[in-house]
Amino acid sequence: MNVVAMIILVLSWFFIIFGMIAVFGLKNMYARILSSTTIDTVASFLVLFALMFVSSSFVFIVRFVLLIIFLLITNPISSHVNIRSAYLSGIPIHDKEVKL
Amino acid sequence: MSTLQLFLLITMMLLVVGIIASFIRMIYGPKLWDRILMLNLISAKVVLIIAIYAIYMNSLTLLDIAISYGIIGFLTMTLLSKFIMTGGREK
Repeated sequence: MNVVAMIILVLSWFFIIFGMIAVFGLKNMYARILSSTTIDTVASFLVLFALMFVSSSFVFIVRFVLLIIFLLITNPISSHVNIRSAYLSGIPIHDKEVKL
Repeated sequence: MSTLQLFLLITMMLLVVGIIASFIRMIYGPKLWDRILMLNLISAKVVLIIAIYAIYMNSLTLLDIAISYGIIGFLTMTLLSKFIMTGGREK
């Protein structure tokens, strides 16, 4: 069981590093919010899924399932509320407005 | 120290590096919503660090603390976004 957890943990390192690259590399604000939140959700899911394999008793697994369900529901909702607040406050989606 | 504990330590160090990077972006963020987003990312990473440390120390209490910290982070994020969207006025 330890080997499975180690493989999933190594897989999650890449997503954490990609999240850091997405925070610093992208120029547009909406692209930054969308990509960093999505990558961070996958990274947290992978880390908690790996920790489920090495937990010692059944009580740990119940807590991890609760935490995974909570993070998978609330993280996209937070991103949506943030983007909605930015859009309704008048930030343009493109950097340069296209004149028709 | 077994191999699994070494892997858990490396994951915690990577998460700390991610928190520091998010904090730098929070200082230099050009707009307000960047800073709120970085608050969300830091809260998610702190929840992960507490969960890994609970496995590392084999204690059940730290996992409950992680769950309640996640709830507090989500409420902070949502209420701050709504407060900024309405401009501080009651609607």
